[in-house]
Amino acid sequence: MTATPTRPARKLSMKARYSALTRDLDWEPSYVSSAEMFPYTSFEGIKIHDWSKWEDPFRLTVDAYYKYQAEKDKRLYAVLDGFAQSQGHLSLSQASYLNAMKIFLGGVTPLEYQAHRNFAFLSRHFNGPGPRFAALCQSQDEIRHAQTEIHTLSNYNKYYSGMHSFLKQHDRVWYMSVPKSYFDDALSAGPFEFLIAIGFSFEYLLTNLLFVPFMSGASFNGDLPTMTFGFSAQSDESRHMTLGLEAIKFLLEQDEDNVPIVQEWVDKWFWRGYRVAAIVAQMLDYMLPKPVMSWKEAFELYFEKQMLEGLFPDLEYYGIKPPRHVQQAIDEKEALSHFVYWVFYNFSFAANFTTSIPSTEHQAWLAENYPDTFVEYFQKPRWDKAQRIVDNGGRFFFMGLPQLCQVCQIPMTFPEPGDLNTICQRTSDYNGEHFNLCSDGCKWIFDREPEKYVQAWLPVHQIYQGNCGGPTVPDVLAWYGMQEGDGGEIAGSRDEVNWAAWHGTPAAKEA
Amino acid sequence: MALKTIGTYEFPSRSRQELYGEDMLVHVWWKDNPMFCAAATFRAPQAMSWADFRAAIVDPWASSDPDYDASHDFSWGLDGQPFTPEPGTSLADLGIGHKHTVSFWG
Repeated sequence: MTATPTRPARKLSMKARYSALTRDLDWEPSYVSSAEMFPYTSFEGIKIHDWSKWEDPFRLTVDAYYKYQAEKDKRLYAVLDGFAQSQGHLSLSQASYLNAMKIFLGGVTPLEYQAHRNFAFLSRHFNGPGPRFAALCQSQDEIRHAQTEIHTLSNYNKYYSGMHSFLKQHDRVWYMSVPKSYFDDALSAGPFEFLIAIGFSFEYLLTNLLFVPFMSGASFNGDLPTMTFGFSAQSDESRHMTLGLEAIKFLLEQDEDNVPIVQEWVDKWFWRGYRVAAIVAQMLDYMLPKPVMSWKEAFELYFEKQMLEGLFPDLEYYGIKPPRHVQQAIDEKEALSHFVYWVFYNFSFAANFTTSIPSTEHQAWLAENYPDTFVEYFQKPRWDKAQRIVDNGGRFFFMGLPQLCQVCQIPMTFPEPGDLNTICQRTSDYNGEHFNLCSDGCKWIFDREPEKYVQAWLPVHQIYQGNCGGPTVPDVLAWYGMQEGDGGEIAGSRDEVNWAAWHGTPAAKEA
Repeated sequence: MALKTIGTYEFPSRSRQELYGEDMLVHVWWKDNPMFCAAATFRAPQAMSWADFRAAIVDPWASSDPDYDASHDFSWGLDGQPFTPEPGTSLADLGIGHKHTVSFWG
């Protein structure tokens, strides 16, 4: 039975190898119909005529993929070991810098895992081998990112509060429901909507705005591990961006009827993603002891310039317009971060991070970067009064639970268009029930698919239904898995006191 | 536009009134006080009188701001319309419904 090979096979070129190991492994079903084999690719109304037209710009094979990633991981883990052994955490700019990473660990890392799950699903369920293979690679990237982020931040967990129960808190804590519900919305959509939601909107349209600030913040504030993780993920992220762009172009080129469907997804997912990015906005402007750039500047560079001026003129060729409600996001750039950090200042007693009144120096930086808004709308009516309360021995907290938006789940804090002094409130009635929305963008999304959003797990409503450990704040915090020292005010917090002791300096402020 | 789904898609609201028994959720919005980042959400009996609602629920929350003066003569609104709360009347009889918003200012 054994055949004697006559001569070794000629080595295939990279292109031929890619083709042989990915696309050539595809087959036409013979004993089931194509619709039975791929049951999820028709109900959304997207028409695909030729799956082979999907261009995979990174012609990786599985063996090459693992080889590259293993090398990158080795370098990352070498940095992590060195940082841990040399007590690198002591060279952070301030202990309070890690508030940004506490939000990242609980808010973003679990999303990487969810992305892994759904891309794995897509790698089975797309009809064409090109997108299936691209989804497989991205699925692997995402689970690696979840793992490497956890390992990167785990060293800090030995010394600092608020990082010990991030996974449980992702499912339970009030503000974590913002990124969680965003991703749940995408996971429960069809495969093409997911591709536009995550592949295009999250990984292309908003990716630089979401990730670059965290990684630059790490670099400016002495967080070598997170910065190294960022570099390690960068080549994956650029592959994801290419996939996102290929995805939208592929759908648009396949059939003209796809254009209005894709446009609505772009409209919806821009706004959903933009609302999640509000958490990044406050992080950039308030949480970094050494600020990198303002949210406004980041928004102008990474979104207005790169996307609105760069990408959308190209998409216009296919009939795609800039996202509906984009003007509202542009108008809000002067104020977004200030509103959101104020929410956190109101509620950090129930969070895994701490907040404080920005220092005089920091407020000067904010005034300089937001000359038209900070002093008039935020410093005078909010921070000055918060300071007076502190001077009188108190600390302002919102002693209650906030009204949440039914779609983005953020406390309804955002301003009425053109009026920074008035909160925007929108409502919709559906099936005889009243719903509250934070903006025209979220109301448009709700009214388009109310059947979906009536199921929202709104943390405040769940607390009042008795599903979160009990009726009192301590009951709920216990159910959240919070420990003493996790939340509240920075001044006098456990992290601040420890930091001062480790550096042999008295704590900056006494609680 | 109807939701596009792979099958029947009928799920109840996760915050419908019946989940709160005889109670309901009421939002209270102190409109001209930026210290409060958003309106508050409270669970209250539908039969609770306005006076009790004020004293037991609204006042303690508003007192998060040390400048709050419960005896101040505020103007009131319900879902953006002018509203005159009667102390002895129940929330339901005042027309306040589940997840509706009472506001005050002045």
